[in-house]
Amino acid sequence: MASADGGAYSFSLTTFSPSGKLVQIEHALAAVSAGTTSLGIKASNGIVIATEKKTSSILIDDSMLDKVAVVCPNIGIVYSGMGPDFRVLIAKARKSAQAYWKIYGEYPPTRVLTQELATVMQQATQSGGVRPYGVSLLVAGWDINRGPSLYQVDPSGSFWAWKASAIGKNMVNAKTFLEKRYNDDISLEDAIHTALLTLKEGFEGQMTEKTIEIGIVTVPSAAELEEGKIGGETGRPKPTFRKLTEEEVRDYLAL
Amino acid sequence: METSFAITGKGYVIVAADTTAARSIVKMKTDEDKIKALGPHLLMAYSGEPGDTVQFAEYVERNIRLYQIRHHYSLRPSAAASWVRRSLAESLRSRHPYSVNLLLGGYDEASDEPKLYWIDYLGTMTEVPFGAHGYGSYFALSLLDRCVKKYLVISGALICHSRYHNPDATLEEGIETLKRCIDEVAKRLIVSPSKYKVKIVDKDGVREIEL
Amino acid sequence: MSIMENNGGSVIAMVGKECVAIACDLRLGNQALGVSSDFQKIFPVTDRIFLGLPGLGTDVTTLKELFRFRVNMYTIKEEREIEPETFAHLVSSTLYEHRFGPYFIEPVMAGLSKTPSGGFKPFIAATDLIGCLNFAKDFVVAGTASSKLFGVAEGLWEPDLEPEDLFETISQTIMNAVDRDAYSGWGCIVHVITKDQIVTRTLKARMD
Repeated sequence: MASADGGAYSFSLTTFSPSGKLVQIEHALAAVSAGTTSLGIKASNGIVIATEKKTSSILIDDSMLDKVAVVCPNIGIVYSGMGPDFRVLIAKARKSAQAYWKIYGEYPPTRVLTQELATVMQQATQSGGVRPYGVSLLVAGWDINRGPSLYQVDPSGSFWAWKASAIGKNMVNAKTFLEKRYNDDISLEDAIHTALLTLKEGFEGQMTEKTIEIGIVTVPSAAELEEGKIGGETGRPKPTFRKLTEEEVRDYLAL
Repeated sequence: METSFAITGKGYVIVAADTTAARSIVKMKTDEDKIKALGPHLLMAYSGEPGDTVQFAEYVERNIRLYQIRHHYSLRPSAAASWVRRSLAESLRSRHPYSVNLLLGGYDEASDEPKLYWIDYLGTMTEVPFGAHGYGSYFALSLLDRCVKKYLVISGALICHSRYHNPDATLEEGIETLKRCIDEVAKRLIVSPSKYKVKIVDKDGVREIEL
Repeated sequence: MSIMENNGGSVIAMVGKECVAIACDLRLGNQALGVSSDFQKIFPVTDRIFLGLPGLGTDVTTLKELFRFRVNMYTIKEEREIEPETFAHLVSSTLYEHRFGPYFIEPVMAGLSKTPSGGFKPFIAATDLIGCLNFAKDFVVAGTASSKLFGVAEGLWEPDLEPEDLFETISQTIMNAVDRDAYSGWGCIVHVITKDQIVTRTLKARMD
């Protein structure tokens, strides 16, 4: 329905087209599809999220670029689409996680944080004077209730839990690739390699520790859990989400 | 000084309040009605700061009526009491709190039970078999205490005298008990009220009686 | 006269072996005048948590309703029941929200928390009226009889009491403490929480 210029129903994002579509949201999805590929895979003992980091010029200092963001010690997010929109969402997510901590003395479960972000994104499709966020997110986290979980959030504000998913430019190919490679008892190590292999499909240029970003969720052992409960009063919880360092990424690429 | 009582019996609540409107040491009026019928089966006796009392009682009355118009049925006594309590509790922490004490007596048609709630100006609420506000309460409550069964746990030898409060008393017995309370206050309180208005709520609705 | 002593009332919670107990008196007064002998100060939060709210009568009811609201919203949003530790933080932050115009309540909580291995661990806590948390390993007290409760509990409590013995200990503690307090008493209620049941008993007490 959406023609090249957006058609008669593209002037207001809160106006439905006769076919029942909100074309501005479709345009936002188009912005996501133009973004670099990101993916996430849930393994039996953790989750990996990874993305391609592209710079428009070799003169840009890419060590300052962050596409995988830590929200709180148990949750991390990667995106495809518009970088500035992502930064705003991350700021909101971090604030929401800290607000939750202030009330309950612990960080939010992945589902609760995802829902919060999805609400923020949905609101941008219904409010006046704003446009939808031009990003899709992959939210990976661990919590005591649901264990490791991986969610995708779209500009419309809808979200789903995935075993493995990909977003951005190469998402169709990447998803087909993941469907072939995925099985339920894949280990985190294998998942990281599968993630790299998937990114390699349709990767433009050289895959190095500078052009790849990886975040992982690890599952605490029973002993660590028992300890965490006791030290939970005063001590910080041991992080279950962390970004891989450039050295670690280089080691995985070398294998 | 201002006094109000309420007692429950078998299938009814009797609510009584003095009829004096006073400013300082002067009696301005001796036929003031301080008991409002909030609905077909709900009575509210109000006392406290002059001005606040009537304002607040009318506010409650209109809101309970509004609920009835909107929903085509009245709030049950427990729900009405909760709403009134919350109004007072919110008012307490506002710039100009209402200073009104209430006795809310009603007949719950759903459970066929008489209900009585004691509420003060802070929003403190409790369900009671009998209650009182004002200086009269110091005399009336102790008088009524003499016969509530659950108060007799220490000396089980005491028998229940129907002349004092008894949750199963007939209406005639209830009125007799109320008269005792009024007489006691008249006898012992230095500035006791001269006249009382007495209203009853039971399955047939609300009505006023002459003592 | 202190606002905290306007209506009277006391609560105590104790830890036992794989169980906890919480008890309160039933008096509601207006200063020295007794108004009700059926004013409960302990409320169920989940199947395994109880909350005691001694203090100003109006705030007992207001906070009971506020926590019911917040816990219901939590249960819906999180699709699970709240854990005692989390609930304690919720109580603390809710009270601290009103730091400069507080609710005149000193909450006491008792519950069993789930351990990661699937077992249950006793949990008790109390806060002051602005939400300063106090996690205790033995017992917590609050209300107009708190000083007396401390004294009796200190003498009677011992570690690893079985549910029946814990019931006896907490009952004797609260009954004897509130008898020495003019603003507490008029009957008591005791709840003992174990992993598979809650036992609630009403105690007959002096009515003077």
